[in-house]
Formats: sequence, structure tokens, C-alpha cells
Amino acid sequence: MKVLCGAYVADEGELFHGGKKIEIRSTLDARNFGIAVIFQEFSLVPYLTVAQNIYLGREFPGRVPGTINRSKIRQEAKRVLGTIGSDIDVDTPLHKLGVAQQQIVEIAKALSQDARILVMDEPTSALSDSETEHLFDMMRRLKASGVAIVYISHRMAEVFLLGDRITILRDGKKVATVLPHETSPSDLVQKMVGRKVDTIHRRGAGIKIGGVALEVKNLNAQSGIADINLQVRSGEIVGLCGLVGSGRTEVARAIFGADKVSSGEVLFFGETFSGGPDKATRAGVALIPESRKSQGLALIRSVGDNIVLAGLEKLFPSRMFNPARARMLAGSVIQKLRIATPSPRRAVQVLSGGNQQKVVVGKWLTAEAKLFIFDEPTRGIDVGAKAEIFALMYDLVEKGGAILMISSELSEIVNVCDRAYVMREGHIAGELQRERLTEENILQLGMHHE
Amino acid sequence: MSTMIETKETAPRFGLSLSSDFTNMLLRLLAVAIICIMLTFATDAFLTTNNLLNVLRQASLVFFMASGLTLVILTGKIDLSIGATVGLCACVAAVVIKTTGSPWIGAAVAVSIGGAVGLANGLMVTQLRIPSFIATYGMLWVAQGVTYYFMGGQSVYGFPAGFRALGSGYFLGIPIPIYLMIIVLLIGSFFINRTTFGQQIYAMGANTTAARLSGIPVNSRLNLVFMLSGAMAGMASLIFLARLNSAEGDVGESLTLPTIAAVVIGGTSLFGGVGSLSGTFIGGLILTLILNGMNLLSLNANWQPFVTGVIVLLAVWLDMKTRSKTDAGN
Amino acid sequence: MFSLGRVPGVAFVLVALFGLFASTSGNFFTAANVSNILVQSSILLLLALPMTFIIMTEGLDLSAGAVLTLCSVVLAAVTLGTGSLTVAFLAALAIGVAFGLLNGWIIAWPGIPPFVATLGTLGIAQGLCLVITDGQSIVGMPPSLQSVYSGTLAGIPIPIIMAGVAYAVMHGILYHTRLGTYVSALGGNREALRHAGINDRLVLAVIYGIGGLMSGVAALLLTSRISSAHPTAAIGMEFDAIAAVAVGGTQFERGEGWLLGTLLGVIAIGVLRNGLNLLGTSSSVQVICVGLLVIFALFLDGLRSAER
Repeated sequence: MKVLCGAYVADEGELFHGGKKIEIRSTLDARNFGIAVIFQEFSLVPYLTVAQNIYLGREFPGRVPGTINRSKIRQEAKRVLGTIGSDIDVDTPLHKLGVAQQQIVEIAKALSQDARILVMDEPTSALSDSETEHLFDMMRRLKASGVAIVYISHRMAEVFLLGDRITILRDGKKVATVLPHETSPSDLVQKMVGRKVDTIHRRGAGIKIGGVALEVKNLNAQSGIADINLQVRSGEIVGLCGLVGSGRTEVARAIFGADKVSSGEVLFFGETFSGGPDKATRAGVALIPESRKSQGLALIRSVGDNIVLAGLEKLFPSRMFNPARARMLAGSVIQKLRIATPSPRRAVQVLSGGNQQKVVVGKWLTAEAKLFIFDEPTRGIDVGAKAEIFALMYDLVEKGGAILMISSELSEIVNVCDRAYVMREGHIAGELQRERLTEENILQLGMHHE
Repeated sequence: MSTMIETKETAPRFGLSLSSDFTNMLLRLLAVAIICIMLTFATDAFLTTNNLLNVLRQASLVFFMASGLTLVILTGKIDLSIGATVGLCACVAAVVIKTTGSPWIGAAVAVSIGGAVGLANGLMVTQLRIPSFIATYGMLWVAQGVTYYFMGGQSVYGFPAGFRALGSGYFLGIPIPIYLMIIVLLIGSFFINRTTFGQQIYAMGANTTAARLSGIPVNSRLNLVFMLSGAMAGMASLIFLARLNSAEGDVGESLTLPTIAAVVIGGTSLFGGVGSLSGTFIGGLILTLILNGMNLLSLNANWQPFVTGVIVLLAVWLDMKTRSKTDAGN
Repeated sequence: MFSLGRVPGVAFVLVALFGLFASTSGNFFTAANVSNILVQSSILLLLALPMTFIIMTEGLDLSAGAVLTLCSVVLAAVTLGTGSLTVAFLAALAIGVAFGLLNGWIIAWPGIPPFVATLGTLGIAQGLCLVITDGQSIVGMPPSLQSVYSGTLAGIPIPIIMAGVAYAVMHGILYHTRLGTYVSALGGNREALRHAGINDRLVLAVIYGIGGLMSGVAALLLTSRISSAHPTAAIGMEFDAIAAVAVGGTQFERGEGWLLGTLLGVIAIGVLRNGLNLLGTSSSVQVICVGLLVIFALFLDGLRSAER
């Protein structure tokens, strides 16, 4: 997608347009070839009208030099919306529209640039059933007028409904291109899973399981999760998986107190919890967030400073900070986790991804956490470091800790977790015990509309 | 095994965390030295004991105001009301001292009012979610208005000698404010470096989101920091009062810019997470030296706001250049 | 554009203030006084209009009052020096634009936060005022200058005409030019503007430049009003301008703005100050009231955005 719209430049390979070989080196190039990409985050201005948004940067000049022709902009906007069968009032300020309608505005924006190739990335993830129907009507109209559409989705039903041809990608490579009538959803799932050579061996069963560390009952939150029920016991690594956007991070944040909970209960070690991350930390809960650079670390601070950060109140209950003691503690954590850094005084920024992640985990060791929520623990980390992170996690649970692990790498979930919950669109679609924990099953639960 | 450092070219300056702080401090001390040398050559009046002590005394006054502000800026926020708060506290304290005859009560009142203003600022930021530059800007005018109203166009002067000594007195040949400054510097540095609050403040400035997700009670700390800034302004007002031996409505008006200048010149980044109190003192010293030099060279005093403005912009620009090499997730 | 939900807000404030002062002071609701309020508000409107744009881009111009004062000083000095009001006016405009573009430049390119950038230029402008005037007023303005503020054209006071023209021009810019469209984008979604291939930094710089230009225009009215130029004449007026914009409903984040709201906000502040004057309250109390009004307006803002 990013190559097609000019955001990234291709290193190798060839692009052909209308039979001719082309190069795309900028967004302007992409536009000139009639390619438009609709990302999940819209490029729209909230307090401008629909018409203004559609023609942002390409306003028609008015009769008086320097002015713009507002009526023409409105007219054209109406016309473009009309071609896709939409009757949105072009004078509405954008922020008043719902996500579905904003998406339509994005599409109109692309079309107004004479796009003949439209790439859409998960367009229905935020839409209701009727809005989705509407979108599909629109797409059929476009198709009839000769526009080519690349529709990226994980929703089997839609893919089979809409697609003339289906291409499957995995790990950055194309697996196959098939025709819908020659295949079936479960066949596709199999192709998506594949066999991967990895060095992560399946964790043995039979570790001693302790009491319930985390219990979540009927949790609902404004961030879009509903009816979440789950349990994690000491000594377990429990997976929380599902496709991107299924609500896993939202669950983690709600449990940790980072997002507001609308209803339901969270219990840590048998005690009801309510409050923010500071209270969760005191209760012995840890969150290793999705994006370590922007949420897990103070990049300009030193490795040592970051390591003692979460544990400050526990280590120094008198509030008197002892740099020497902090250095010692940081040093022992660095040793224990084998964090590669020339000195604890180096800024965390210079460390590699794997070592940065170890610092985040180390932070929680000094806070004496007993329940860990890992959100994508091995994202952006090389194979060697991944193995170390997992070894770390095994060590934690062996010593009585409990782990809830979110991951998009299904092989990891299967190899590392004792069992897993699968999420789909904000709900828990099901739980898979050890025997049934396979990549196919996870995908089945996470993707299918029954 | 994973590599430790990405590439030599991308290793940013902040990669040398503590030694970078040291280098920065050294650079600033060097600036002080250079300015002193230049001034010594430029005029005979500079290198006299009297003048040097005067400079240090002035720098101390600037430091008092800037010390609390440093804490606020370390967390990544700003307090534009600092000058007006000093003015307000000074005027109220002046009247209280005159009517009760007791400097102690006056001092208590000054610090309390300062703390209250600071707390109000903090609450606007944490509870009402108003950006700090707007909230404290509004507070600036409210405080100034209250000050003028309170004084009713009068001025108050003539304070007990013991109190005046705070600002104008000497001890062992050295002006008392300098001792006070050293005390504040020591206590303040202790607070920043030897308490958990200090560590949390630095973390909040470096990355507020990560700090919050690491269990730091961000709102509570912000309120604390704003309150301290206000209370320090209250304390500073006492020294001002003692030095000027009078108080008028417009005492605080022109104080905001030099105070921010001192903090920024001293190496505390406006984006938070980087800086120190000793840096602020040196920053105040540099500013005072420059203005002192202008005075000694008989440059029109009217140039001072101009020069201060230019210096602030230069200092912030420098800060941004160094900061742009890093990628702090704020 | 504006949202109907905000009309009651500032209009309500205006009506309430009107009612309050009309009932407490006999001199308030006279034709002469109301006309007085409008004339006196004209200078503030000239500052508040570009301030609306600036705030819509999530910025702030703390130097507006100081730059206005500087332009006024330059206007007076050049009038005395050359005897030509026209040349002086052009000089004032030039200075205003220069400072505006300076602000825009340091904010747009190195990315210095607006409050510190304009605080710095405030110091610079104020310093220059003091240096040029040496702390004294510049007097001896020709009667032709005086007549600008007190004169009328077709029965309407000239300041009101100038304010009206300024409003029309800014309205035209905001709703009928590309620049105006981009103002909201700068505050709402700067990325979108970049994706559309527009040089967002240039737009930002121009917006601050317009602010400087308006300060230059306002300098004519200011100097005419007091028939002289004083180095602290308009210091602090940016506060009233910012207050007017805030009370008028323009948001400090998100890029939502309402020009008519600013106009009403300016009148509201004019009414507030005038009414308080008639009641004999000192200017310091007036400042407190304006400050409280702003905090109240921002508080309401906060409530509204929490609801979204």
C-alpha cells in the first residue's frame, strides 16, 4: 500500500501501469497515475465542510484573483458524491459525520482526483452492517464505471462476496492468487498460516499453577470492548489474540486502569480494583505497552533511570532517593536480564529494540510486579532477542508470576501460552485450551462470522 | 547477540546522558568566563568587589523566581504567571508587614498566596485540562489585576531593619541574598536529585505518557510542581521587598521574561525532562552579567527588554536544535 | 464555519452584560455611550481578528500589543520627521508586517512554541519602543491625524468604518480564499494539508504576518486617539484580544474558529470595560473581570469538549 501511494519507494521489482513500466517516487506520482489509497486514519480536517475537505489544496479559483469559487467547489463535490450514490450534505462540517460517512468523503476525495485505482485498507472495520452494505453498493458502482479496487481485509465473508480475485500475503510475501469459486474460507486460512521455521520450542506443560492473579468480569469500556470475561492464574502464560483492531490493547489498558471502565469488575489477586495506573502499579500489576518508544520508555533518560522508574515508591517508601542504591539495583537488573548497554548511564534511546524491551520489563521487576500484561512483546525485535524475552517470561511465571500476553504472531501464542482467549470485534469470541491451541483455530475464531 | 548501538551516525547527543549534562554545564561556565573576561577589558568598573557582589546579588534574585519555574518547565509545562505572582505576593506581604509589624506573618502570607496561585494553575491544567500556557496566561492578568486593585495606586515603603537585611544586608562582607540563594540551590537540588519526586518529574517531562503508564501519579505531581512554583515566587517576593524596601502595583510586570530567560539559558529544555537548578542559576548569572555589562558601558537601559528577548529566542532555538536530534516520545 | 450551538453562548454573555450595566448605571444605555463603546472597540477588533486566525492554528500572539505600540511610535516619529502622514502610515505598516513575519518565521520553521516565540518578540518590540522614545511620549501630532479617530464619513465614525472594512476583509480571507481554508486545517489536521501538497509552514508565516499588518493599521487609530505615541500605550492589549477570541467561542485546539464570535467577544469586552468604568471601578478590577471571563469561557470550552 505504502509503495503504491508513494509513501515508500520500492527497492526492487517492477510496476506496470496500462501495460507500461512506471516508477512511483512520490505522492504526486501516485496521483498522476490515478492511484489513491484510503488508509484507516483519514486525512481530513474536522472543522472544514465536506466540500472543503474533498477539494483541500485543489480549490477552484474564483473570478476575483486570489479568491476561490465556493459554489463550484460545492457543485463538484456534490457531483462526485453523486457518482457513488451518496447524498451527504456537502456543507456539513466534517466532525459532525460518523466514521462511515467520513470514509465516504475520503473515497469522494480520491475520486475527485480522477483515481482509477483505489486501494482500501480494512474499510469496514468501523462500519455497521447497513453502512457496509452501502459501501459495497458504492464499490459496485465504481467497478461498473471502470475503477479498479484493491480491497484489503481479513473478513472472509466480504472477501468472498466482493472479490473477483483474491491474493494472500504472509510475512511480506505473496502466497497465492486464487479465484473465489476455486477455494473456500478454511482453505484460505490454511494458506495464511503456513509453516514457519522458528527457534521457539513449545513450552512444556505441567508448571505449577497457583491462585487467580487476574479476574475480569463483564468488563465494558468506552474504548469499544464489551462483556470481557477472563482469568489468569499465577504460573500461567495466557494469550490474548485476535486480529488488529479486535480490542486486545483496549482490554489491556482497561485492566491496567489506563482507560476508563464503564462497567464490570477487575480483580487483582482477589481484590477488586478501581483506579488509575498508579494504583495498579502499587497492586503489583505491570503493563508492557505496545509501543515501547512512545509509551514504555523515557527515551532521553538513562537506562538506569528507566529501570527504577516504576519501582520508585516501593524501593524508597520514605521518598528519599538514593542514587547509589538505585544504581546498584539497576545494575543487578541489567545483569539478570542481560541488557546490553555500555553503561547504565547511557540514554535508553541508543539501545537496540530488544534491549529497550528488556529495560521495559526490568522496570517492572524493580516494582515487584506479580501480574504482567505484555502487549506485543516481540514487535520489532530480532530473533535472538525474541528468544531471550521468552526465556524471561518463562522465568517470571516459574517464580510465581502471572502473564497475560497479547500478540499478533500466532506462532508465538501457540508455542508460549498455556491457553488463549481469542477476541473478535471487541468481544471475546472464545477460549482455546492447550490441546486446541493451534494457529488455524485462532484464525477461525478470530475471523469467521458464524 | 543484538547490537548495542545502532550506528555511529545516528547516535544522538543525548546518548551520553550524564556526561552530556556535564558538557553543557561546562559550556555555560565557559560562557560566564568569556563574558567576564570581555567585560573586564571593556570597562574598569566591572572587576571591582562591589560590582561583582552586586551582580551575584542580582543573579540571586533572579534565581529565586526561576527556581520554582524550573520545576514546572522540567515537567514540560510552563508558568507565565510567575512575574505577576511575585508582584502580588510582594504587595500583600508589604501591607501585612506594615500593619502587623511582623515580617514572619508577612512571610507566611506571601508563601501561602503564592502557593494558592500555583495550586489554582495546577488545577486548571490537571482538572480543567486547559493548556498550561493559556491557563497561566489568564492567571497572570488576574493576579496583576488583583495586585493593582489591592494597592489602589498607593505604594508601601519602610520596613523593619531586620527584614530589610534579607535583601540589602551583608554577612561577612557578602550580601545576604547570596547565602539564601545557596541555601535554596542546595535544598532545591536535593529535592530534584535525592527524592523520588525529582525522578518522577524528570520522567514526566521526558515522556508524560510513559510516566503515567509506569505508575506515576501525573496529575498529583503536576499540582505539586505548580504549587511549589507559586510558593517559591512568594519567597522571592520577600527578598525583592527587602531589597527594594517598597512595593508598588507594578512590581511584577517586567519579571516574567527575564525569569523564563534564566531557565532556558541555563539549559532546561522547554519540552521538559532536561535541566537542573544549577543550570538555572548559571543562566540567571549569564543574563545578569550581560545586563550589568550594558549598564556599565552606559548603554541605554531601554535596550534591556530587547536584549532579553533576543537572548530568550536564541536560547530556545539552540535548545530545539539539540533536541531535534533526539526522539523523545512526548 | 460556525456552529449554532455557540450562538447562545457569547450572545447570552453580551445580553447579560448589557442588562447588568443598563440597570445599574443611568448613563449606560444612551446612543452616545453605545456609539462610544463601538468606536473604542475598533482598535481591539483589528487585533482580535488576526488573533482568531492565529488561535485557530493552535498558536498565540503575545507580542500583538507591543508591536502595536511600536508601530504607533514609528508612526508618530515618522510623522514628525517627514511631515507626511502617508509615509508614516506606510512605515508603520512595514514595521508591523516585519514583526508579524518574524513571528511567523520562528514559529513555522525551527518550530519554537508560539508562546515563547511571541514572548521573545514582545521583549524585542517593547525594547525598541523604549529606545526610540527614551521613555517619553511623542507629541505634536498634526490635526489631520487627530481627525482620523474623531472624524466621520457619511455620518459614521471613521474607526467603525475601518473596523468594518477589516472585518469584511478578514471574513473574505477566511471564507473565500485558499489561505482561509488552510487556517482551519493548520489547527485541525496539519498532516492533511501536507498530504495535499501545501506548504503549511508558509501559510503559518503568512497568518502571523497578517497579524502584524493589522497592528500597523491599528496604530493609526491608536496614535490618532491619544494624539501622541507613548511607549506603553497598548502594552497588554493582546490580552483583551485573546480574551475576546476565547469568549467568542474559538477553540484553542482543533482548528475551530468563529469570526463573528470574535466580533461579539470584542463588543462584550468593550461593554464590560465601559460599564465597569461608568460604575467607577478601577482598571485593575476590570482586568480581573476580563481574566475571570476568559477562565470561565475556557471552562465552558472544557465542558463542551468533554461531552464530545
